[in-house]
Amino acid sequence: MAELIRRCSNFFLYDGSKVTGEGDPTREGICYFYPEETPIDKQELLCGQLAGVGRCVSELSSSPVRILRLRRNKYAIHMKDDFFWALGCSVEVPTVSVCELLDQLIKLFCFYNGSIRQSYQLNSRETLAARWARYLSHLQSGSSELHHIFSCLRTIDSTNVDPLLLLKAALILQACQRCPLVLAGCILFRGRVVSTQMSPELTMKVMVHESETYTKAQKPNGLSSTSSSSAAVCSTTVFLTMSELQYLQSPPVDKDLRSHSTPHKDGPLKKTRLSRTLSDMASTESDSSDPGPSQSPQKMSFSPCLSESDNSLFSPAPSQSAADPLHPPPQSPEPPFSNGKHSHEAEEEALEQSYYQSFHSNGDGDSQIHNKGDDSVFEGNSHFNGGGREGDTACGTVFDFRGGESGNEESHDDKELVGDSGRAQGQTAEVGDPPPCYGAFDNPEESPLIPMTLYLHRVKGLVLALLVEPHFLSDTASMEEVYHSSLASLNGLEAHLRTISPGAPGAQGPYIFAHFDCIQSTLTTNLSGRPGGAPEHPFVRATSLLHLHFCNTETLQEAIIRSAGAAVYGTRSVAQETYFQQHGGSLRNSGIPNHQDSAFSLPSKARHRLLKHGVNLL
Amino acid sequence: MTTKTSLLKVILLGDGGVGKSSIMNRYVTNKFDAHLFHTIGVEFLNKDLEVDGHQVTLQIWDTAGQERFRSLRTPFYRGSDCCLLTFSVDDNQSFLNLGNWKKEFIYYADVKEPEKFPFVVLGNKLDVTERQVSAEEAQQWCQENGDYPYYETSAKDATNVAIAFEEAVRRVLAMDERTDHLIPTDTVKLHRKPRSATTCCS
Repeated sequence: MAELIRRCSNFFLYDGSKVTGEGDPTREGICYFYPEETPIDKQELLCGQLAGVGRCVSELSSSPVRILRLRRNKYAIHMKDDFFWALGCSVEVPTVSVCELLDQLIKLFCFYNGSIRQSYQLNSRETLAARWARYLSHLQSGSSELHHIFSCLRTIDSTNVDPLLLLKAALILQACQRCPLVLAGCILFRGRVVSTQMSPELTMKVMVHESETYTKAQKPNGLSSTSSSSAAVCSTTVFLTMSELQYLQSPPVDKDLRSHSTPHKDGPLKKTRLSRTLSDMASTESDSSDPGPSQSPQKMSFSPCLSESDNSLFSPAPSQSAADPLHPPPQSPEPPFSNGKHSHEAEEEALEQSYYQSFHSNGDGDSQIHNKGDDSVFEGNSHFNGGGREGDTACGTVFDFRGGESGNEESHDDKELVGDSGRAQGQTAEVGDPPPCYGAFDNPEESPLIPMTLYLHRVKGLVLALLVEPHFLSDTASMEEVYHSSLASLNGLEAHLRTISPGAPGAQGPYIFAHFDCIQSTLTTNLSGRPGGAPEHPFVRATSLLHLHFCNTETLQEAIIRSAGAAVYGTRSVAQETYFQQHGGSLRNSGIPNHQDSAFSLPSKARHRLLKHGVNLL
Repeated sequence: MTTKTSLLKVILLGDGGVGKSSIMNRYVTNKFDAHLFHTIGVEFLNKDLEVDGHQVTLQIWDTAGQERFRSLRTPFYRGSDCCLLTFSVDDNQSFLNLGNWKKEFIYYADVKEPEKFPFVVLGNKLDVTERQVSAEEAQQWCQENGDYPYYETSAKDATNVAIAFEEAVRRVLAMDERTDHLIPTDTVKLHRKPRSATTCCS
């Protein structure tokens, strides 16, 4: 079943730093190769070819390579430092989807493991191979082809759910935020989003861990009593990019404003850019390449979190920091801002430092006190150790760009910076604009990653996932407060959602539609959404093609795509994309443009029909 | 019998704002939050306790009192072992509505012998000085409607809350001994449903 919708034919991560001399075998550089059963010489062949071509092209064009075609496959490429990623799909898959899948995969890895270089220094290849495999299968499995086309969130079918229950979920999340250590959260039911306070991208990442713990929880779970309070809570360290963290820490009012700038960090090639109504408007009104004046009010409010990252970055991956022979905690802190940060930022940061001190000194003190206390309430949680230590290391050290990395690494960063400034002048829009606040950091992978904690509270199929400050775990009082204030409501919500019948698939009407909300990254469709649901379906193929056109042509608003027997209408605005196909009724067309052609009535039919699904195309 | 832990489902019903959620929270977590939002639908918490040598897991279901949440809460009445009818001593209307709550419960819980079903009546907000319902009125209602035990509670001060729940448990246990009907049959039902649901959906 899953085989049908598996899009990725190859994926590999290649570390060029392992293959420098003439005699070095290519296999030394292959960190991970999918499918794993591929013979090693074939792996070497592909890695060698693609990496070579990729480097060559990017050096000739002095811009990053995004896509390479090789026979019947196209490969999304990502290069960073010595690392080279390639993800291959069949040529039919839209380029945007392939590139997006690769981006998602890399970001997912970084979310759970921190920077690539560090992960490979701290963990064995085998360990990380298992993780790549897991993320890859997570991104590809379990959802319909339409979901893949749009890379959208899997949400519960809200047509069957009483809106009051969605309100209930939102209120649970809000109640958790009364604890200041809780940044944001989401509630998932059986692997689908019920409510989320996070960006779609972040929610998607969080869902991977959820699905993991779910499968684990399912196996040993016999007939436990309905009170599943123990072992229902777990946590893991995750790594947020600076912009993700800023978004979470900014006051809710600011978030709409912020969404202006978030899309900038990715290239215009990707559809998220098109999605944000506000962002597009912002970029036309104020020069988008200039993050300065228009951003400054926000900048003020973010500064504390930058300082925060300065501190916490010091620790290598916190969960492993104790047993880390490669990276002893730096003894002599380097002077701050040694990484080529712009000096005006440095000044600003220094200004904010005092604010930071007062703002955060409480938290740190707290965590130190509580470190000594035992989290006996939530026993059986092996994950909890990392957090406490984190609180310690986070105290007043100086900014070091990438924790334990060597000076050698830093020179790479410098190189990146040079490349970025080149790109900012508009050479190529392939990878990304400068991020909103800090011009020095470009891609999410290049910006420092800030360790945070992902806290999960499971009630059977229902999961409350919260992104919390690392010292939340050592703050017993906060943990208990969050746990107890949400438990009853979670129990109740679970009971409600469980009793909702999955809803008869319903006789498919005389039409098919798919409506993609770009802002929330959600999909509404009346096409059977089950996994493996006929990817060869003409509607799906037409949608995929139209989506690609919309992505590539920013000015394109409406399009009809047709074969001899069917016509699919697509329309999009900055906030949504909608696709519609009317069944039955023979298409009257003679192959030449004809005003009586029934395809031309599709737009009005779509407008009319989709109103009852809550899709307003007027 | 004494070593067996039974699961008892107890449900709190009553008008919105009489303090059902606060009573549950006071009893289970011993906390009081004056700024709770309306309960939406239902919520529940479990508490283990021992009453007269019986190990019991009390599953306390808190419900939304507002009329607009009716369709969300009523499906969860079924399977209750005891019903705590709650009103607020400073709100006469909530007292007058007790009869309606009882009717609604009996109807949706599909109680076979309503006259034998264990109800317990709670007059909450004892801490409030301006009473609208006297203890005598309340006791009279209880007597006339089936000799229900009556407790005046304060979730805020923790007055009588634990005692009321323990009484509820005693009533249920007494019922069970009379009918010689083992409780765990209910427990099994509770587990079967979710399990079958997960297998068909995954």
